[in-house]
Amino acid sequence: MNRNNFVIHLALAIVLILVAAFAGQLAKWRKQWKSHISIVPAEQKKRGASTTEEIALAETRGFGRPEVLVKFKSGVSRETIDELMWRMNDRVEDRIENAPGWEAIDDLDNADAAATVAQYSSMPEVEYAEENYEISLSQTIEVRTAVTTYQPLRFPKDPLFGEQWALANSGQRGGKEGADINATNAWAITTGSEEVVVAVLDSGVDYNHDDLKPNMWTRPKSMDAYEDEDLGPVDDEYGFNAILNESDPMDENGHGTHCAGIIGAEGENNIGIAGVNWKVRIMPLKFMNAGGYGTTKDAIEAINYVIERKKAGVNVRVISASWGSTQRSRALEAIIRKAYENDILFVAAAGNASTNNDRRPHFPSSYNVPNVVSVAALDRNDQLAAFSNFGVKSVAIAAPGVDILSTWLGNAYEEKSGTSMATPVVSGVAALVLSEHPRMSVDELRKKLLASTDPIVALKGKTETGGRINAAKALE
Amino acid sequence: MNKEEAVEKARNDLAQRLKVDPADIKESVEDADFPDMALGAGESGEMSGQMITRGWRIRLSAGGQSHEYRADKNQVRLFKYKGKNYRI
Repeated sequence: MNRNNFVIHLALAIVLILVAAFAGQLAKWRKQWKSHISIVPAEQKKRGASTTEEIALAETRGFGRPEVLVKFKSGVSRETIDELMWRMNDRVEDRIENAPGWEAIDDLDNADAAATVAQYSSMPEVEYAEENYEISLSQTIEVRTAVTTYQPLRFPKDPLFGEQWALANSGQRGGKEGADINATNAWAITTGSEEVVVAVLDSGVDYNHDDLKPNMWTRPKSMDAYEDEDLGPVDDEYGFNAILNESDPMDENGHGTHCAGIIGAEGENNIGIAGVNWKVRIMPLKFMNAGGYGTTKDAIEAINYVIERKKAGVNVRVISASWGSTQRSRALEAIIRKAYENDILFVAAAGNASTNNDRRPHFPSSYNVPNVVSVAALDRNDQLAAFSNFGVKSVAIAAPGVDILSTWLGNAYEEKSGTSMATPVVSGVAALVLSEHPRMSVDELRKKLLASTDPIVALKGKTETGGRINAAKALE
Repeated sequence: MNKEEAVEKARNDLAQRLKVDPADIKESVEDADFPDMALGAGESGEMSGQMITRGWRIRLSAGGQSHEYRADKNQVRLFKYKGKNYRI
């Protein structure tokens, strides 16, 4: 070996030693880092205070905050509540203006919160009471399940999120833990996209609601105003009002605003609730009046508007239709088929008559058009809601639809029930899927939704899939 | 519209239909949950929000016959009168 070769070999040897040493250190760092990640069994995955300390970051009792949230029965006077406070040596920390009847109560004796909840729950004046958890975790946590897949959880900071059992059922108010759409797992993958537009075909939407405003669709400045052959030009800056054939789709009832909040109340904004999508664009369409009813003709006019806007370049891929009747309209069916031809999904309420749609159809949910997804309603215990229609041939899927908290007129929030409430849950999941797979066709999207359910015993023989929609599965 | 106003409206409607004195109409009223926003009494060609709606079931009787009205704060409807529903 000459001198030059020796130097080269020596240099190579030094490089190899350094690489090996660095790799060893890397492995050591990796091992140390891993030791800080908690691996939690699947049965502890659910969102509750009883999981490990790491998971409990999601819901921790704070100091200096009210310990319990109490909802008094309607009719219980201020004086009666003050009398109870005095008797319990507690004080009302806050009244929740937008959640009528709710009081945040601070226990001055610093007694155990669970015991305080039990005390209040036993009072005849109280509808229900629960501990006040602070939902503070906004980052993802990796949790190992029994099948060794990683299922991250993500919780929003919205203060009323704890009441949204449809998104995260921790067993609150006597519900069944885990009987939800698995939103917290889905949100670790996506929280939605401003690129996806969902048309809420309803009583309009209160587009000034603080929890909705950032997610409302407005016509891009570069796009011409809507021009209908018969109606002429309509300055559709905020959407479309098919009752008056004008531009303003402001909700006068509340129903459309409620549905819009389920789909896309802004998440992580420290206000009210979180929608299935934290980010989305809601296109408000008004065809039902202040009473909550409207004509088939105006529904058709509004669907026509959606199709025309799609053709003009708006990425509107879902129509959410929380309405119906038992009267068949060929014209309505035809326009929904037209929406299908334009790659638009049509999610429709199965109806609230407790009847079998296979025998007594409900429209538009029973139209045999490939883009229609008919939705039944479940309660917080995974039971088919007593009012919900069903049909193994004509009702595709089920979603939470009882005591659903969402946005209401005047910056308020209300709990409502109906297949009206289950429908926007599925529309919202469809929008989540599209945020991840923007090019997915309407046929693929429908197929994906129907393949993304958790089997529910109560739905066996009642719906086509026999399952509850699972948002996380839909994103797999 | 409150419950009393809804009952009054229903009573006047039935009096007109049956051509009787409103004072001769007997009533019973109860709170009720209706299946949709047309109070389960939608007219032909009408679509309604599929939300459970709190209201009042008003039963009025006159001339030996009973008739059902349904109402909430927004509307009064006559349910299945001679086989048809009417928004009044």
